[in-house]
Amino acid sequence: MKPRTLLALFIIPMGLIIAAVPQNKTKPYKLTADELLAEVNTRTQYLTPDAVADMILKKDPSLQLIDVRSQDEFEKFSLPGAINIPATDLLSEQYSDILNQDVKMNVFYSNGSLVANEAWMVTRQLGYHNNYVLEGGLNYWFDAFMNTQKPASTSSDEEFAKYDFRKSAGLALGGGGVVTATQEQTSASAKPALKPAGKKKKAAGGC
Amino acid sequence: MGPLAINEIISENTNLFLAFIIGIGFGFVLEQSGFSSSRKLAGVFYGYDTVVLKVFFTAAITAMLGLLFFSLFGWIDLNLVYVNPTYLTSAIVGGIIMGAGFIMGGYCPGTSFCGASIGKIDALVFIGGLFIGVFIFGIGYDLWDGMYLANFLGAPKVSESLGLTDGIFAFLLIIIALAMFWVAEWAEKKFPREEY
Repeated sequence: MKPRTLLALFIIPMGLIIAAVPQNKTKPYKLTADELLAEVNTRTQYLTPDAVADMILKKDPSLQLIDVRSQDEFEKFSLPGAINIPATDLLSEQYSDILNQDVKMNVFYSNGSLVANEAWMVTRQLGYHNNYVLEGGLNYWFDAFMNTQKPASTSSDEEFAKYDFRKSAGLALGGGGVVTATQEQTSASAKPALKPAGKKKKAAGGC
Repeated sequence: MGPLAINEIISENTNLFLAFIIGIGFGFVLEQSGFSSSRKLAGVFYGYDTVVLKVFFTAAITAMLGLLFFSLFGWIDLNLVYVNPTYLTSAIVGGIIMGAGFIMGGYCPGTSFCGASIGKIDALVFIGGLFIGVFIFGIGYDLWDGMYLANFLGAPKVSESLGLTDGIFAFLLIIIALAMFWVAEWAEKKFPREEY
């Protein structure tokens, strides 16, 4: 048999097979279920609101807040400097450079922790680093900074220090303690960095 | 799983070492197939010897099928495989210059080193010319950087621009290649040469 015929007999069926099968578009998971479970159990992906507020106030350039709620919700209210990547578009090509990088510290947040945590799990399983979750989400954020509760007079100094920080952070972040979950007031934006300046602020999220 | 170096299964240095081993194998096969003869390479353009065309096309098809099957089995993530970016103008101009050099010199850059390794004088002269070309390009970069960087298209795949899946395009390419081999062998009979 001629070499060309032999070659044709081999590569034509191979070509037919590869033309007939669907393209493999699955993104391979880099972490096994065991590894991911171990990471979830350490809870190291969570950042406390105080740590995040501190970074915002210090204008830490490595911080990148990512709002994983819908665009609608993002436009109504977002944290200073946040960008919007709706959880439904998480795997879209245009965001892969933001999510898969080694420079910035991405902090996902949603109303509670649930959706942000889902986003973290998906990106972590794809092997991305430097993604974190805002603990408690916006609900807890508002509780902590906009509706700060004075600790009981018997509390430790630590509690008072935390209270003082949250009170002043709340002021600096534009809440000023005037916005509570029930009042639905126009935000008295102290800082221009707060995005929806002058817009009506919805009550603190809600799952 | 793959690409091995990008997924940090092997280190960057191991990757270079493997490339070195594969490179030696590639050079050895080129030499054994007679690619160190400039007459054999120039033969493609005159039609009397088309082994170069057949070998390189077979190699391309083998690699293409291999990558597609590896991707199908989940052994390699094709999104992580580097695709050369396309600068259309410089690709066309460069292709013409290289093609002309190919016919005149009887070598392509890879085979010229193959020829030099077994001591062919014409291959050594060809490599000299190669370096002169690199030097002229570097010195005169300001003159042609506009053309060099014109018509940047990103890193498109032919299958994407035709709107076909990779698999169907691969099959078409196999058919085209086999047709080309047939034409090439017909040309060898049509324009035979006794000694070269």
